Amino acid sequence: MRGKKAIIYGILIILCFLWILPIWPTVLVSFKSNQEFGIQKFWELPSQNAFWLNLIKAWNQAKLGRYFLNSLFYGLIGASGAIFIASLAAFSISRLNIKNSFSWFFLIWSGTIFPFQMYLIPLFQMYMSWGLYDTFWGMILFYISICIPFCTFIFRNYFLTLPGEVLEAAKLDGCSNLKAYWKIFMPLSKPAIAVLLLFQFTWVWNDLMFGMVLTRSTEVRPIMVGLAQLQGFRAGSGTDIPSLMAGAFAASLPTIVLFVLLQRYFIEGMRLSTAGE
Amino acid sequence: MFDLVGEKVSAYLFMIPAVTMVIIFLLIPAGYTVIVSLTKWDGLSAPHFIGLGNYLRFVQDHVFITSLKNTIIWVLFTLALSVLLGLLIAYFVNRVKFAPLFKSVFYIPLTISAVTTGLIWLWMYSPDLGVINNILMRLGLLGRSWLSEVPLNTYSMILSWTWKTVGMNMVIFLIGLQAIPTEPVEACKIDGATEWQTFLHVVFPMLRPITTVVVSMSLINSFNIFDIIYVMTDGGPYRSSETLAISMFRESFVLFHMGYGASIAIFLSAIVLFVSWIYIREVTRHELRY
Repeated sequence: MRGKKAIIYGILIILCFLWILPIWPTVLVSFKSNQEFGIQKFWELPSQNAFWLNLIKAWNQAKLGRYFLNSLFYGLIGASGAIFIASLAAFSISRLNIKNSFSWFFLIWSGTIFPFQMYLIPLFQMYMSWGLYDTFWGMILFYISICIPFCTFIFRNYFLTLPGEVLEAAKLDGCSNLKAYWKIFMPLSKPAIAVLLLFQFTWVWNDLMFGMVLTRSTEVRPIMVGLAQLQGFRAGSGTDIPSLMAGAFAASLPTIVLFVLLQRYFIEGMRLSTAGE
Repeated sequence: MFDLVGEKVSAYLFMIPAVTMVIIFLLIPAGYTVIVSLTKWDGLSAPHFIGLGNYLRFVQDHVFITSLKNTIIWVLFTLALSVLLGLLIAYFVNRVKFAPLFKSVFYIPLTISAVTTGLIWLWMYSPDLGVINNILMRLGLLGRSWLSEVPLNTYSMILSWTWKTVGMNMVIFLIGLQAIPTEPVEACKIDGATEWQTFLHVVFPMLRPITTVVVSMSLINSFNIFDIIYVMTDGGPYRSSETLAISMFRESFVLFHMGYGASIAIFLSAIVLFVSWIYIREVTRHELRY
């Protein structure tokens, strides 16, 4: 029995070591100056902290700062816009007696089942001819739309777990549908809202493909496109790896912070979206 | 009276924004891709209708066949590595002290984007500066060009992807494991079953619904794999490490064969929809039981 436990601990510790292996040198390297990076072993500590210098280089020369700001707006407006629009639809579908409610739900939800490749070519053409290509609002509109189906799915599941008497009581008190939604159902849905904010902000923040296809200029491009363009060292040329890693670290910060703050909701969200309980 | 009518109408009004946006930005484009796939089109001049010509081209196109082969390798190896390892870690973590500490280690890569994961591993695999070759050389072994040798490059990227995704699988399996009642497991142990027998005959069958969820999610995600390959090799060298999603992008937006690109998108969707259908069937069946 003892021996078995020891084996389990042994395997887990080895795996943990392997999983930390890529992170530790990456964090270290972002603190090294470019000269030191050239001569030091990858596990050696830097003699002085060059992190801010590296970050400023990535921020200004590679314009990561601008991309960062763009994506912050896309993530926040995209996620909250989708949460608002989807919760309204889910409220109507799950709680108000409308005809064929499941068909309506299916129509909205069917936006989650296709691979994203299905949207690329027509969206590109549409955006070109409607003047939405390479615009801030074009990106916002797309990000809201792509987030709506999943948000509707989660809100519908969540609203169905709330007791039915809540709405009836509100109706008896003379509440309109809109008031019942805003004053009663939304305040009760804080866990679902937190989950979706985390999931959808992360999705928009991490998006690479649509950012590449629908934008061109620095003022509009999202962060991941900017970051992906920095990897000149694939060809073996002298890219400034410390400043690249400092940039990558900064670009990961918003999602890391969200995950740490909302960790409890993340597990809840996985339960809500996988087990359907 | 008017109020009642107003309330009835408002219920439909609530759905309009969501329905309109989904139709305009998602469903119409998806349908339009089907039409584009029947044409030869550079995206600028007028498209030529060529029927199923693009689909017939699949069989002769070596790049497409390599790409399909790579996609299948991605799917199978992600299942074997990421899903099995996720189950193993979840099962172990569930039974040791300091579980939160172990969990958080596998949780870290989950919070980083695929692009960042690609950048980190580009450096890990880099032939002369990279961490892995550095370690190998110190052990007296020969380093390799992890991302330019074929077919090694695809397997190298699969390892990076495993590093990123194992945490997600662990989290979902843990949800399943914690929902399992302890009595049958205890009873089995008292009856003298070994660890392995208990897992195989009691724990694993009870995990079946959650296993289906993890397997289908992993299947769908690896069929659609894009970001990490785009960053690490961009499908190269000489289009040797492309998958269907990368090929579709390259044909449509680099080579401007939009018709051909669209037909690859349709081919990919057909596979993914089939897998999703199995997944949805399982999830809804699970939902009905509660």
